[in-house]
Amino acid sequence: MSKNTFTIVLILLMSVSLQAQKKFTISGVVADEKNKETLIGVSLFVQETKTGLVTNEYGFYSITLPEGDYTLLINYLGYQTVTEKIKLNQDLKRNFYLSVSSQQLDEVVIVDNKKRVDIRKPEMSVNKLTIQEIKEMPVIFGEVDVLKSILTLPGVTNAGEGQSGFNVRGGGADQNLVLLDESTIYNSSHLFGLFSVFNPDAIKDLKLYKGGIPSRFGGRLSSILDIYQKEGNKNAFHMNGGIGLISSRILAEGPIVKDKGSFLIAGRGSYAHLFLKLFDNPNSAYFYDLNTKLSYSINEKNNVYLSGYFGRDVFQLNDSFVNTYGNAVINFRWNHLYSDKLFSNLSMIYSDYYYGLRLDFVGFNWDSGIKNYNIKYDFKHYITDKFKLNYGLQSHYYDFNPGKIEPTGEDSGINPEQLDKKYAMENAIYADAEHQISNKISLSYGLRFSNFLRLGQQTMNTYTNDQPVIFNPDFQIYQSAEPIGTVSYGKNKTIAKFDNLEPRFAVSYVINEEQSVKASYNRMTQYLHLISNTQSPTPLDVWAPSDRYLKPQLLDQVAIGYFRNFKDDLYSLEVESFFKKIKNRVDYIDGANLIANEAIEQVILNGKARAYGLEVLFRKNSGRFKGWVSYTLSRTEQQVAGRTPEETGINNGNWYKTGFDKLHNLAVVANYKLNEKWRFSANLIAQTGQPVTFPNGQYQYEGITVPVFSGRNEENLPTYHRLDVSATLTPTKNKGRKWQAEWVFGIYNLYNRQNAASITFRQNQETGSNEALRLSIFGIVPSATYNIKF
Amino acid sequence: MKSTNYLYILILLLTFSSCEKVIDIGLETGEPRLVIEASINWYAETAGNEQKIKLSTTTGYFDEDIPKVSNATVFITNSTNQVFDFIEDPTELGTYKCVNFIPSVNETYTLTVIHEGETYTATEKLLNTPTITGVEQINDGGVLGNETEVKFYFDDLVNETNFYFLRIDDPYKVIPEYGVIEDRFFQNNEMFGLYFSEDLKPGDTLKFTLNGVTQGYFNYMDVLLEQTGTNSMGPFSTPTATVRGNIINQTNFDHFALGYFRLSKTEVSEYVIE
Repeated sequence: MSKNTFTIVLILLMSVSLQAQKKFTISGVVADEKNKETLIGVSLFVQETKTGLVTNEYGFYSITLPEGDYTLLINYLGYQTVTEKIKLNQDLKRNFYLSVSSQQLDEVVIVDNKKRVDIRKPEMSVNKLTIQEIKEMPVIFGEVDVLKSILTLPGVTNAGEGQSGFNVRGGGADQNLVLLDESTIYNSSHLFGLFSVFNPDAIKDLKLYKGGIPSRFGGRLSSILDIYQKEGNKNAFHMNGGIGLISSRILAEGPIVKDKGSFLIAGRGSYAHLFLKLFDNPNSAYFYDLNTKLSYSINEKNNVYLSGYFGRDVFQLNDSFVNTYGNAVINFRWNHLYSDKLFSNLSMIYSDYYYGLRLDFVGFNWDSGIKNYNIKYDFKHYITDKFKLNYGLQSHYYDFNPGKIEPTGEDSGINPEQLDKKYAMENAIYADAEHQISNKISLSYGLRFSNFLRLGQQTMNTYTNDQPVIFNPDFQIYQSAEPIGTVSYGKNKTIAKFDNLEPRFAVSYVINEEQSVKASYNRMTQYLHLISNTQSPTPLDVWAPSDRYLKPQLLDQVAIGYFRNFKDDLYSLEVESFFKKIKNRVDYIDGANLIANEAIEQVILNGKARAYGLEVLFRKNSGRFKGWVSYTLSRTEQQVAGRTPEETGINNGNWYKTGFDKLHNLAVVANYKLNEKWRFSANLIAQTGQPVTFPNGQYQYEGITVPVFSGRNEENLPTYHRLDVSATLTPTKNKGRKWQAEWVFGIYNLYNRQNAASITFRQNQETGSNEALRLSIFGIVPSATYNIKF
Repeated sequence: MKSTNYLYILILLLTFSSCEKVIDIGLETGEPRLVIEASINWYAETAGNEQKIKLSTTTGYFDEDIPKVSNATVFITNSTNQVFDFIEDPTELGTYKCVNFIPSVNETYTLTVIHEGETYTATEKLLNTPTITGVEQINDGGVLGNETEVKFYFDDLVNETNFYFLRIDDPYKVIPEYGVIEDRFFQNNEMFGLYFSEDLKPGDTLKFTLNGVTQGYFNYMDVLLEQTGTNSMGPFSTPTATVRGNIINQTNFDHFALGYFRLSKTEVSEYVIE
């Protein structure tokens, strides 16, 4: 083009842009009016443009619209809706303070914001529970429990009673990323699954992503459980607590500087073991944990938070056996508003998991653990009311101690041994967009690039043909290969490197205001593996980083769903179907010894896994009687084929059910508010029994009988089912009083079904005959808790 | 018992209102398979010339009788091709006896069993075993502090990787108890076999048997013992599969035999509870 033409075009373009409508931004924070606690996921909807968004994890929102007059509808479950008329002719800063819905109980329930399915957002495969909803579920063992609550949702199960961890859409318990205020938690249960590590009083909000996982999350295949703690009441000092038969808890919160800074500190502990001490029984099992948080609002653009968590479980049998384990986390976060449209959060996190075992009668002391240093910088860019960009970067440094063994005293025959420590770095950079294309279609698309470096200082084995596992054709078994040499890597030198691109995509199509269909695809990578020969994380399991032999696990998941709200949000229905394919899922060769194994590569074989299913969730959202029915039909299986046609693979290379496969999983949760004094709730859980391998014969060897087994996991334990009930009594004298109290009574497993946690086969030592032994862990367990707050 | 196995047993003990009950359950029965129990034990201070091998088959899990296998040909050869024949005892069907066996530490032996036209072989070394140096009894011992604890001490064989197969015969139990340990954390130090029981009273005899074994046997018995339920781990059970020993069917590879061919020098200690 000639210079003159160019200049003319430029002037024209400039005038076009000058004539384009000016846009302004309204932004701010949404919080609870009484305690100034920011609210996560509050919906702000612009009536005129039919666009909207939800507040982010820090209660922040930002909407950019062309100049004009708008009506903003702000609503959130449990709070009164606010309708705000705004005149947008300049950038506005508006904070909204919502009041809790007052429930008038005679006949009519007033403006109770009902839970409804979000029809518009492409977000799917997500379950969100506020602590209010969790508190309305039956209380098991004396207190509300985060993990027990998510187990009633579709697609979520656990491997068995008394086992810690949970399984999402047929994924292993190690495939869940559990975050508390953005910090990784490695073991989410106390006392083998009896309690979760989350003190319900300290929690503000939780969200479980089962699929359609946004690109800011990564590092685990199956789910993200994202939990946020409360900041603490910025207005006045309050305390609350509860005393129960098994455990008690107490929380104190209040302002440091009124309206600007607050603190929260909560502690919990169990003491059932003290009853044992009364009877001169020297054994004990207990847990304790501490949640702390300091929040300070420096100015309108800057907030800082310091959170901490410390928890321990202790099992002690007569001084000769002491087992201690738990998580510890400390993190510092800084929210900064670069502009009205650009929100950022910088997190600096230290997270640690410790596991220790002391066996005095053998003379053995073992310490192991993981230390994790993590930095994250996340940006949320609210570009227009229809387009939002999220981007950021993350870096983790891991220090694994697989075990340090020491003698407990001079007369112990144990030789000290330190298993090689392992080091790794996991980094990621991501970007994704939430884009409302039209009135009917919204998209969410993004990419995460993750990178993993396995670092020295370490000495690694080398093997013939790079095969740490060899197949012995004579015995038809896999055996560990002898290393042919070693390679030493200096401190921070790269031993192995992996790069992966993880695309994420979700779309929602609104059929009408009441219904929509959604679809999503995600690819996830997991660089850490839980080395465990059991189906759920027991404390003895060891986390291992990927290396040349233990490759990162890769997952592709697709999901589609149909969502509908009925009768003015009185009911809602969510139906989803998913399919997952996983590469590099390992399984162990027979006779694998995983404990204190320096060379895990010698006992594992690479295989694949897949899971597919249908989930249905039907809810009644309001009224005296509320609740939901959740049903999941699914299958999860794995396959380890031989590496060559001569090799057998595991289970002859056939697909076999994983240990946490549950064909049918039904949960019915019901809540009934009789009057101001009494509230009742009940849970009914029914699921297919765990897959097991039963014997199909026996023989005698060296004077004992030995079982012969059929194919892996072909049978199932008997169906698992139980009914839990609870009743909450709020005395009328509470009204208007500063001290609020309530009694909660609960019964776990009301009809005392002896559900089989396992069926083992053994030879009776007194009669010599074979027998089948069923182990049930919890029969009927009553509980009573007295809760107070002031 | 392996020190790490203690952990599993102890975790089982910790479960709260847990309950164990023997139940009736129907099980399928698979095709019968040959079982060869070829354990050659050369008891210390004996000639070791009398040895026996037992042949049987698998049967239904709840069947009371174990079917014996007769009319098989059984013999062992050593590295100089000396043949030791095992002849079936007509009064003890399924048991094949030899009276002229020559045991020798570190000698390699090959077992051959011919049954129904198929030949099964296995090759193994006769391993040495340390002597039992002493016995210690602790009352109010055991994990829970109310049991009689007995420790049988022996010195780990020096400068080699060793695996040991232990057996306890308790007068109150109708079947023996077994364990396998390795010298990994105890290399060249004193080791012990540990047993505890509430039932033992003064005057009872507790018999402890120690055998040095190969790593192959250690792995085999480790898995086998987990499956027999004596080392049952309750809720934390591992995936199981039928474990194969070192015996190979030369005629029809997939028609394998169960059992193991093991040879060890054997040390025994009989201790009377005080």
